[in-house]
Amino acid sequence: MGIEADEIWDAGDMGCGELVLELRARLTGLRPGQVFELIARDPGAPADIPAWCRMTGHTLVSQEHPVYRIRRKENR
Amino acid sequence: MMANRFCVSLTHAKDNSDKATVAFVVANAALGSGKETLVFLSVEGVRLAQPGYAEDIREEGFAPLRELMESFAKAGGTIYVCSPCFKKRKLDENRLVAGASIVGGAKLVEFLSDGSPCVSY
Repeated sequence: MGIEADEIWDAGDMGCGELVLELRARLTGLRPGQVFELIARDPGAPADIPAWCRMTGHTLVSQEHPVYRIRRKENR
Repeated sequence: MMANRFCVSLTHAKDNSDKATVAFVVANAALGSGKETLVFLSVEGVRLAQPGYAEDIREEGFAPLRELMESFAKAGGTIYVCSPCFKKRKLDENRLVAGASIVGGAKLVEFLSDGSPCVSY
């Protein structure tokens, strides 16, 4: 896949509010520029994760459901 | 420009535990998306502000409501509890769940007046 993830989280079937609340906390724990690999099998994830990235400012590097790679944004 | 606030209005408790649960899931989605998030409890929904009340509410396919509410409060979510609804039901204002405060309508109006969207359950 090219990019090495700095952290991996298998969220299983978790979705919707629970998923993004936990995701937010986990991304906050990374340093800017680090890449987070999320495994999310929830059927809403393909639509939700890109929307979440647009709102939060993190970069969706790749999306191949159920695997999502997200680069943590810079601190502002 | 996207609003930085998000409100979820909830008027149910055990009379519709499905709605009560989904309301907090959506509130957690807003909070997780970086929004300053308010859950406004009114009508029957005010019962959820009493510690222990949500203990036995668990909808299939969802986390228990108590857990959803705890995650919400822990992540900095705010809960406003409708004062007249609360008083009408003779609930205990000295015992409130984390993140909750009893307010009148002006507080809700103030929160929404800045251009906050609101979804109702």
